[in-house]
Amino acid sequence: MLIPPNQIKIPLITAPEFNLEYLWWLTILFFVLAVIYFVGVFIIRNKITSNNSRTKDKKVEFSPMINEFLFYEDSNTKEEKMNYLNLKVQIRELIKNNFDRDVLTEVLLDLRKDLSGSSQTVLIDLYKDLGLHHDAYEKLRSSKWQVVSSGILELTTMEVEDAYGLIIKFINHRQSTIRKQAEIAVVNLKEEGIKYFLDNTKYKIAEWQQLKLLDVLRHKPNYTPPQFGLWLTSTNTHVVLFALRLIKYYSQNDAEQSIITLLKHKNRDIQAEAIECIKDFHFVNALLTLKLVYTKASHDIKIAVLDAIGELGTTADVSFLENLQLTERNFNIKSKVVGTLNKIDPERILPTKNIATSDFYDVELDDLTQDNENEVVDVLEEIPLHDIINEISTEIEVDAEVKEDTIEIKSVDQDKALDLQVEESINEGLIEEAISEEKDLEDIELELELFPKEIKEVKSIDDIDLSFLPHINSEKIAKEIIEEPLEEIEPVSKKEHEEQAEEELSFNFLPLVVDETIITEETTTIEQEAFEPIFALDDASFEEKENEINSIKTENNSEVTINEIDWSSMNYDDQDKKKVVVKDADAEETIISFENNDISFSPNFMRQEELDAMVLLENISELGDCRELILLYQIVEENSSDVVIDRANELIQKFSYQSPRPNELFSEENDLTESVFKDVYNLADYETKLMLLNEMLVVGDQKEIHLLESILESNSKSLVAKATEVLEHIKSQSPVNNETPVTELDKDSIFNLDFELELNEPSDQKKIVSNDNGSTLFDQLCSMSNSLYNKING
Amino acid sequence: MGKRVLLADDDQLLASLLNFRLKKGGYSVHHSPNGKEVKEYLKNEMPDIIVSDIMMPYCSGIELIDYVRNDLKSNTPIIIISSAGNEQNVLTAFELGANDFITKPVSPTELLVRIAREINK
Repeated sequence: MLIPPNQIKIPLITAPEFNLEYLWWLTILFFVLAVIYFVGVFIIRNKITSNNSRTKDKKVEFSPMINEFLFYEDSNTKEEKMNYLNLKVQIRELIKNNFDRDVLTEVLLDLRKDLSGSSQTVLIDLYKDLGLHHDAYEKLRSSKWQVVSSGILELTTMEVEDAYGLIIKFINHRQSTIRKQAEIAVVNLKEEGIKYFLDNTKYKIAEWQQLKLLDVLRHKPNYTPPQFGLWLTSTNTHVVLFALRLIKYYSQNDAEQSIITLLKHKNRDIQAEAIECIKDFHFVNALLTLKLVYTKASHDIKIAVLDAIGELGTTADVSFLENLQLTERNFNIKSKVVGTLNKIDPERILPTKNIATSDFYDVELDDLTQDNENEVVDVLEEIPLHDIINEISTEIEVDAEVKEDTIEIKSVDQDKALDLQVEESINEGLIEEAISEEKDLEDIELELELFPKEIKEVKSIDDIDLSFLPHINSEKIAKEIIEEPLEEIEPVSKKEHEEQAEEELSFNFLPLVVDETIITEETTTIEQEAFEPIFALDDASFEEKENEINSIKTENNSEVTINEIDWSSMNYDDQDKKKVVVKDADAEETIISFENNDISFSPNFMRQEELDAMVLLENISELGDCRELILLYQIVEENSSDVVIDRANELIQKFSYQSPRPNELFSEENDLTESVFKDVYNLADYETKLMLLNEMLVVGDQKEIHLLESILESNSKSLVAKATEVLEHIKSQSPVNNETPVTELDKDSIFNLDFELELNEPSDQKKIVSNDNGSTLFDQLCSMSNSLYNKING
Repeated sequence: MGKRVLLADDDQLLASLLNFRLKKGGYSVHHSPNGKEVKEYLKNEMPDIIVSDIMMPYCSGIELIDYVRNDLKSNTPIIIISSAGNEQNVLTAFELGANDFITKPVSPTELLVRIAREINK
């Protein structure tokens, strides 16, 4: 149903009533504001433009005058001289106006930048002659930092030395722009300015500022730099850093000890700069400190130290680097260690990664082996008997390149020819073995190493590389060889030899002797005794035998055969195991033990206890912290193994550093007698400082007094008030003041525990006070501060 | 009438000063504050030597050398004024055929000597 329009009385939407008069007033207001704005912009812009225009005109006006002044010569004509005097009068009149003075100053400053030589000197003289520097002095008194800064810049540019005294007071100005401008001015204006600056500056010297200062010094004519080593003792670390850079730049190598000492500086930049200096000046004496610093240095410093060791080091430092190579886990550092090793001792470490195995190459190994076999025979034929006799004392041919340890045993025989045959057959065995083990070899080159291309002269047993040797039970081997029926071996093929050797001897590393003649000779001549002296020769015995050989030689006046030597007389200490540890760059380390005349071929593994201890230590190293110190001390005490003790001591040292022990905390030398809150407080903001003060109120003790006293000198009133409160509280709590009798309740208090913190030596491990989980209160606090420190240092 | 020198530099103060010194040294100097004017001038007249700043509006000193050597096929000696640390530009200038260069801050006397040497070659 539709409702007629006349019945609708209440409109759904009612327009608000608005006074149109207000609207008009508002429109007018905004219009006026817009006009004022645009007029203002127009006026200011015009003013700037006209000012620039005036300045430009004035510059044009001044320019010829200045040119006249700059190029005035005494040899000028009379007319020119008159013109010069007129100009001088004219310009003096002009500069009575402030605007003109400013423009003239601006012109002179502009030209100063573009001119050099005599014109520049004349320009500076003109500036001073016209008294424009007095305006700059006025600027120094201004309260606006930008005006002061421009005043200093003007005086510096125009080399007004008289201003030096006025500018030095800005060296420690709180406004950094003024301060930096003043630093440059002071260094620029007088030669001794750099000394004053380094002596007095309290603020940070930014890197850019250091560059600018160095640039100023560099461009100073006839400049004699002072001994910058004097500032290496500055309390301002930035001064020390800058001094180091200056020392390096001016090659002042007379501060060797100071620079070496700075290696131990807490600031990494200083450490790095000191290392650079040491490298540049080739301070070899720093090597020891470099190694000392290395262990606790950051990654960057470690790399810098390694770089320095690479520059300065000798082969004596190789062992240090090899240890690092084993212990370092960081990829970059490890790579650097390897690089340094190879720098000191080129090609000490060969590439091992992504090297193709031997089967990658399609080389006819038979050809190679045949060639090498012939080569070996040729070499052997050339060897004189006395060399062989020397060599026979060991009777071992070493090939450290073989992955599986290999041994060559030469039969002790009278006949040289037989020896040669033995060698031949041994080499043949090696060839066959090489063929059979081809797949196991690392590469073709390693295989070639199997064949002795050259035989070195062996003077003593220590000269022999025995690294490849496993432990050999000589009795057993001799028995096995002797008992071997000849008939079974005689007609065998190469393959059969191989299988036979594997079955009978069950060690692949032995050369397979297959020649009939040799086997026969071995069965008849090789006895247990024959092996014994070979592996049991100590130096003294060896010398004795050498003398014996020589005496026989002289008596018979002929070459000596092996059997003429009385090997049975060789004596060696049964109790004293002779261990020869030979480390070859290309071979795995092998330990050979000679025990009770037996040569054991069994691998020389650690004892189970040692192994367990080492595993435990490695786990501690991975996961442990300072709480493991007690356990580590126990391990040191309980174990007799050097390896275990060394590793445990290493970890003790590591964890001791991570968490200074209580005795260290209170050691005067370590300067850790201060409050544990100190470091945190110094880095904290205002709020945190207040919180820390509250904490001190609760848990603080006398160690906080020093810190609190220093807080009393701060500017913040609230901090001072809080610190005063805490200080009073702590003083009132101190044992000296608190003479109240100890109640039963107090007796149980942790603060009444009567313990004394003692030096944390391994032998004194039981004295360390610890709670149930092995962590002391101080450990916790120290760990906290260490964590914070590490966090801050990234 | 001395030798004609074209001085191309947008820095009015320095140009005025060099102009003054060169005139005093007996040269006839024409100053152009930008590359466009220089090119216009060179179309009509070839000076005995050109002294040009590297950094100029409209046409840089490098372009000016290229214009003189390749477009105008002129062997007029060109001395380049460059700021210190602008060695790459100087090398380019030499490759394009500049005869000499002088770095700012300039010694007017030195410039005079170099101009004399280039003109007398």
